[in-house]
Parts: sequence; structure tokens; C-alpha cells
Amino acid sequence: MKTILAVDDSATMREMVAFVLESAGYRVIEAEDGAQGLDRATTTSCDLVITDQNMPNMDGLTLVRSLRELRDYKTVPILLLTTESSDAMKAQGRAAGATGWLVKPFDPATLLEVVQKVLR
Amino acid sequence: MDDKANPLSGARDAAQAADLLVKVAAQLNERLALTAEELARSQAVLREASGELMTAFRGAADRLVAAQRDSASGAAPAGSPDYGVVLDHLYNAVQHLQSHDLVNQLIDAQKQRVEKMREKLGEAISLAGPAPQPGEAHQWIERSRAMLDCIVAGIRQMDEDARGPKSDKEHAGSVDLF
Repeated sequence: MKTILAVDDSATMREMVAFVLESAGYRVIEAEDGAQGLDRATTTSCDLVITDQNMPNMDGLTLVRSLRELRDYKTVPILLLTTESSDAMKAQGRAAGATGWLVKPFDPATLLEVVQKVLR
Repeated sequence: MDDKANPLSGARDAAQAADLLVKVAAQLNERLALTAEELARSQAVLREASGELMTAFRGAADRLVAAQRDSASGAAPAGSPDYGVVLDHLYNAVQHLQSHDLVNQLIDAQKQRVEKMREKLGEAISLAGPAPQPGEAHQWIERSRAMLDCIVAGIRQMDEDARGPKSDKEHAGSVDLF
């Protein structure tokens, strides 16, 4: 079973992401900000990371950069799931090493399609 | 006639201008207090509705995920038509609950901006007294300038510290894979 780390400071958003992924058979672990996400990622081997951008303590782009510095996360797909939709922010995400950018609110079927695609 | 020609008249005009600024700041602050109350009330209503929806959602979602796990281990089939229908309903609920969450965050951001604006207007009002000596026009002018700075800083709060979510319906749900 693939393990997915969902990082978001909104408990509701984490719960929504977790439900959609668990209903498709994935195991989901959660973190409420970038710092906790980085900690979870180093203690649990994750096949995919889905993170929000605007969070306290550590934002999503900083988390992406931090994860890419870890040997185990050089090639693990990382998706940004955020309300930010500007091209400038997306360019920053790409430069940081993100695999993709999804804008909230997400459509569950679309999220699953993207997850299946990047995990293939 | 300028201040040098008639210092008392200049001081009176400056005092009236300062008084006007106090009235503007006080009225703005009153309006903002009402806005803050309305935002708080809207958020309370939204939270109550979200809480009830969330409870119903969790009850169904937990059962569905448990059924899916049982199905994966061969104990029960999850491929029944009912399973798909329930899943579709829950996926719709996921979108509604996300919208609730985003609106809640927007209200939070708006509340913060209103609060910061009120702080600045409060500062402007506090600069109003005690009054300078009659005839000291430059003191009234300096005071008015400081009050105006506070009012402008308060208005700028509406654009700053906007950590809340952007309301971008056009791009909602969009996907970019790099």
C-alpha cells in the first residue's frame, strides 16, 4: 500500500484529502505545517507528498526545498495543493522541485487521477 | 490672510481640521466595529453548519473507507452500485466542505485586517487630546498630520498581511504537472 503525506494547516482540508485517498486504497499520514511535514517525512517513508503553500512555521515551498535536499526525497513526487494560482508562484514551485500544482478547492476525481499519474 | 498675519485665525482653522479628522476616524471606527461583529456572526453560523455537515460526512466516510479496506482484503465487495453512489455523494460533500473551509479562512483574514485597521484608527483618535494652546497652529497641523498618517496606515492594512486564501474561481481545481 502506497503511503501519502498530506500537509495542511486546515484540519478540514487534511481530512478531505485523507478521505479521498483512503477511499482509493492509499495510506495517508498527516501533518499540520511544513515543519511537522518535514519531521513526518524523515520518520516515515512516503511515496508522495501533498502540501499546502501558506502555513505557519514552514510554508509549502520551503518544505519542498527541504525535502529535495534529503536523499530519500530526491525523486519522490511532491504536489502543491493550494489556493495560490499565480504563474509566478507556480514558477517558484517548479524551481523548488515540486512535481505539480493543484488549485483548491480540488475535485476528488481529479486529485485521484493526478495522484495515480505521478505514482505510476 | 496667512498664519503670520492672523495667528489666531490660522490656529482656529487648524483646530477645526483636526476636529474633522477625529470625527472621520471615529465614524470609520464605528463602521468597522459593526463590520467586525457581522463577520464574527457570519463565521459562527458557517462554523455551526460546517460542524453538522462534517459530523454527517465523517460517519459515512469512515464506514465507506472501512468497507473499501474489507473489500481489499476480500471480506466484502465494494464494487456494488450502492458503494459508487455513496462515494459520489461523499465526493460532492468534499467539495462543499472545502468551500466552507475556504470561506472560513477568508473571513478570518478579513477579520484580521479589520482589527488592524481599527487599531490604527484608535491610535489616530487617541492623538486628539489634550488640545494645544490656542494660537499654536503648527501644533495642530503636526497633530493632524500624525492623525492622517494613522488613518492612511489603517487603510493600508486592508492590503497588507493578507495571508488568507485568494478567491480565484477561474483557476479553482486546475492542475499543472511540471
